[in-house]
Amino acid sequence: MRVDIAEIRRRLQATGDRGRKLRGLAEILAPYRWRVLAMFVALVAATGAALAPAPLAKEAINRGIDHHDTTALYVIVAIFLVSAIVYAAATYSQTYLVGWVGQRALQDLRMKLFAHLQSLSIGFYSRNIAGVVISRMTNDVEALDQLVEDGLATLIQSSLMLIGVIVILMVMDLHLALLTFIALPFLFAGALAFRIASADAYRVTREKIAAITGYLGETLSGIRVVRQFGQEQPHIDRFAQLNDENRDANMKTVHLNAAYFPAVELLSALVTVEILVVGGIAAIDGHASTGVVFAFIAALNNFFDPLQQLSQLYTTYQSGMAALDKIFGLLDEEPEIVDSPGAVALPQIAGRVEFRDVSFRYGADPDSAWALRDIDLVVPAGQTIALVGETGAGKSTFAKLAARFYDPTEGAVLVDGHDLRDVTGESLRSQMGIVPQEGFLFSGTVRENIAFGAPEATDEQIRDAARAVGAAEFIAALEQGYDTQIGERGIQLSAGQRQLLAFARALVADPRILVLDEATANVDVRTEALIEQGLRRLVAGRTAIVIAHRLSTIRHAGRILVMEHGRIVEQGTHEELLEAEGRYWELYSDWAEQAAA
Amino acid sequence: MATFWRLTGFLKPYRRGVIWSFVLAGGALIGTVLIPFLTGQAINAIRGHHHRTLLMFAGAILVAGAARLVFSVLRRLVAGRVSLAVEVDLRETLYGQLQQLELGFFDRQQTGQLMSRATVDLQSVRFFLGYGLIFIAQSIVTILLAAIAMFILQPSLAAISLAPVPFVVLIAYRYGHRSRPAMQEAQQRIAELTADTEENVSGVRVVKAFAQERRQRERFRHSVQRVFDQQLVATRIQAFYNPLISFLPNLGLAAILLFGGREVIDGHLSVGAFAAFYAYLLMLISPMQTLGYMLGAGQRATASGARIFEVLDREPRIVSPPDAAPLPDGPGHIELHDAGLTFEGSSRPVLDGVDLEIEGGQTVALVGAMGSGKSVLVSLLPRLYDVTTGSVTIDGADVRSVDVNELRRQIAIVDDNPFLFSATVHDNISYAYAGATREDVQRAARAAQADAFIERLPDGYDTRVGERGLTLSGGQRQRIAIARALLAGGPSGPRILVLDDATSSVDASTEREIKTALERVMAGRTTIVIAHRLSTIALADRIVLLEHGRVAADGSHEQLLESSELYREIVRSGTPAHLRTDETLEVSS
Repeated sequence: MRVDIAEIRRRLQATGDRGRKLRGLAEILAPYRWRVLAMFVALVAATGAALAPAPLAKEAINRGIDHHDTTALYVIVAIFLVSAIVYAAATYSQTYLVGWVGQRALQDLRMKLFAHLQSLSIGFYSRNIAGVVISRMTNDVEALDQLVEDGLATLIQSSLMLIGVIVILMVMDLHLALLTFIALPFLFAGALAFRIASADAYRVTREKIAAITGYLGETLSGIRVVRQFGQEQPHIDRFAQLNDENRDANMKTVHLNAAYFPAVELLSALVTVEILVVGGIAAIDGHASTGVVFAFIAALNNFFDPLQQLSQLYTTYQSGMAALDKIFGLLDEEPEIVDSPGAVALPQIAGRVEFRDVSFRYGADPDSAWALRDIDLVVPAGQTIALVGETGAGKSTFAKLAARFYDPTEGAVLVDGHDLRDVTGESLRSQMGIVPQEGFLFSGTVRENIAFGAPEATDEQIRDAARAVGAAEFIAALEQGYDTQIGERGIQLSAGQRQLLAFARALVADPRILVLDEATANVDVRTEALIEQGLRRLVAGRTAIVIAHRLSTIRHAGRILVMEHGRIVEQGTHEELLEAEGRYWELYSDWAEQAAA
Repeated sequence: MATFWRLTGFLKPYRRGVIWSFVLAGGALIGTVLIPFLTGQAINAIRGHHHRTLLMFAGAILVAGAARLVFSVLRRLVAGRVSLAVEVDLRETLYGQLQQLELGFFDRQQTGQLMSRATVDLQSVRFFLGYGLIFIAQSIVTILLAAIAMFILQPSLAAISLAPVPFVVLIAYRYGHRSRPAMQEAQQRIAELTADTEENVSGVRVVKAFAQERRQRERFRHSVQRVFDQQLVATRIQAFYNPLISFLPNLGLAAILLFGGREVIDGHLSVGAFAAFYAYLLMLISPMQTLGYMLGAGQRATASGARIFEVLDREPRIVSPPDAAPLPDGPGHIELHDAGLTFEGSSRPVLDGVDLEIEGGQTVALVGAMGSGKSVLVSLLPRLYDVTTGSVTIDGADVRSVDVNELRRQIAIVDDNPFLFSATVHDNISYAYAGATREDVQRAARAAQADAFIERLPDGYDTRVGERGLTLSGGQRQRIAIARALLAGGPSGPRILVLDDATSSVDASTEREIKTALERVMAGRTTIVIAHRLSTIALADRIVLLEHGRVAADGSHEQLLESSELYREIVRSGTPAHLRTDETLEVSS
């Protein structure tokens, strides 16, 4: 395997930049500082007690056996037992405390991330792929979890153990200790080489197994298509290929491990021989005691084991640190839309919406095209306006600004005369209902979904809402009615049913202002009629901004806005606009023709 | 136990490798056991002031160490190869079986459960077969060899100092037994937490729209707390067993110090033997623990194996008969005789005595309310399901009598919510015709009115789509699915084409274009359209109206208008106009 210098440097640097991560960790651990302290005390005690047997054995030989002193032997054995009990007690506390502190910190980190994600603006979610954001909360936190579970205690303990052993060896016999340490440069060189070679190998195995799992998941989701087209064999072949790649990647780690771990074992045998010969000759010449030689050899285990464990932990440690980097990167992301310092709660509103000379462009680039340009418009409380126009005309941008998912680049959006930038987001949105095009529902019961925007809603309110929008009938037909689980862990609803539930959800929240993106998906005729009716009930008596796709909706709107290239090019009622024979008339003739097709 | 022996069957093809790894492990072991023994002898030499003897034993340790190096390198290589080969076999066997099982099996299974069998259960089996068995053997042999060596040195002292061994093994086993379920429960709760996270990220716009951030946060806090509580249960188990497991061997060491020390003082034992005793016990600590853990792992692997065999032992229900002929040539003439279907575990039939004959080349519209059996009926043609009563024949052959893969290549279904694979657009369109050239693919895409938007994708036909690629709109996916169907089985396309409301998500003008194109490709092939809209129904020569799994009416548009009240209702309630936009409030993205 050929690895150039730059590559080696890159791999080494992958573990760098610890200061920032340590600061972040310290912040998370601060509330639990006493437990953390207790954890360190337990770790030190456990390590100390684990180190005791070797020197005690030496004393047993030197003072007890060599001097034929049975009492001294008893005393030493008693101390040995006490140290074993201390070790057990300290190990108990240490295991518990490391688990507690580690999990607690992870829990806090999850909450922190979650709260932070909620505070980020819609713009952030449009710029970032959902899967990547989710993986910060799942894969990356789990990589840290792995580190906490497998490695944190071992990491600290092995390091302490190593330091302890070095000190003990030096105290017992400086000369022999220095001889033992001759092995250190070899060990470090070996560990370093192993670390450089294995860092990528382990990453590749993780990627390969993820690819297999992903492929398996995809085949299961798409099993219907596989069967429909009778394409089982190509999938089996591709799977076999992924499997082979996974095996090859793993084989590389087998090779690395097969080279490294036995080599460390050999090194430990070499050091044993070295101590035996040098220490033995010294003992024969009377410069050292047999006990020291014996204790040295007994302590060698404690010297090599932590080194082995530390190298084994290396990959877990590395991926944990990389995960932490990415998590802090996300936490550093600033929300764009926040309540201004003096924001007030919006009082009970009537629902008058005003766009005052509003222009808007996505992003900060002053050269990008305007998504909305010079919109000046008042929607009186209680009016339904229908937005029509082609894709990219600015209809949904208009709706997003009304809901303050974005702030206008120029001008202002006002509700009942309050600039949206001066009111709190919560007070605005609790009086505003937004119905998306494809009704996004949460997993949970039908009831929970309808009551999503108004958790305190009574059963009666929920049923009334469902009845009003025409959802009651299909809900009643579900096996467990309103308590039926829907979403991933429950039954799948059709597009029409989801749409009706989204209506009911908006109705229960009883908003003064409704922003609605009409669904375009085709549903069977009966559902179609239900949706139309439900929609009419929903908008009655509210200010409604509807991105309209259905002719019936458009006809019933109080006012129609025809949009083109971010501007309102025509507005008026259906009849007025038809009479004007302008852009609307053109669009309408097109639809009428299709409806007749 | 039967499961256990069946599992070891997976090692059979690698018998030589398995035997070699045991032999090599044995060789490495001898080295490991010899070293403390030689060390003891060397210490005796030191006490006896024998320079030469000391050097001789030191040399012997070097030889033993070098031999151990060679043996363990080889053992690791051979065992690693076997373990990975077993993993490949296990996974391919399971995957192959999943690919054979009929669709009905998957309808009744949760994807998550199948996934966990193929990942978690498989992992525990392959770990045990690949490493566990060797570790167990290695530990037992180490313990036995060391015990023998100790008994030879001094039987009574050996008995006393080995006394903790069974307890350590037992406790380590108990630990493995108890900690695993606790950890799995924790994993389960983490999976739930992941689902919560996904939902809250995907639905962030709804959460914000209804100003429910605080409540969602509280719910999330609750889920996080559940994970924490369970992790703590696992931690407590670990905290209880870990000290015990490491404490007990210390008792053995104390016993050696005390009794061994006294014997040395009394002159019954040499210091060298004493040192060797001590070294042996140190050496035994890790095999004792390993043996316990691995026995626990073995038990888990057996349980996992049982779950895997459950899937492997299931007979695929929809397979070609042994001497199946290919589907005979023909125009695509379809006949259903008294066809009925009742799903397993349900008492209500979804299809109930359907008699239907469709001439080759005819275009038929299937119409009916949700749940009337339209989609199920077309699923019978490529044998996605088998009828429970009656029969389905195509060009005179019962579909159950012909080669099922051949059959499926002749029939293409376009679903209303089509699934695309994480692959390029080209690969998705040529999915059912691996030999397709770029020209074939482009021709199909043109026929499905998909070529224009495909050309505009970042990498054209080489753009990756699907879960791990670019997200396409519903209409774009439908058009790719239509193109895919038009290439099914070869450049000339399928004999029978089924469009399950295939243009529901495209805008009106695109729909019109697709229909014009479809009329061309439908010519000369049997086509079934499942239709909701009059404009789609208009494509058909003949309309079949389904109600509650039965044919309620059959005839031309005019005939049905006259004879069927239900059909009149469908036509009356409308032909909604659509102006499709791809621009939405982005709530579900």
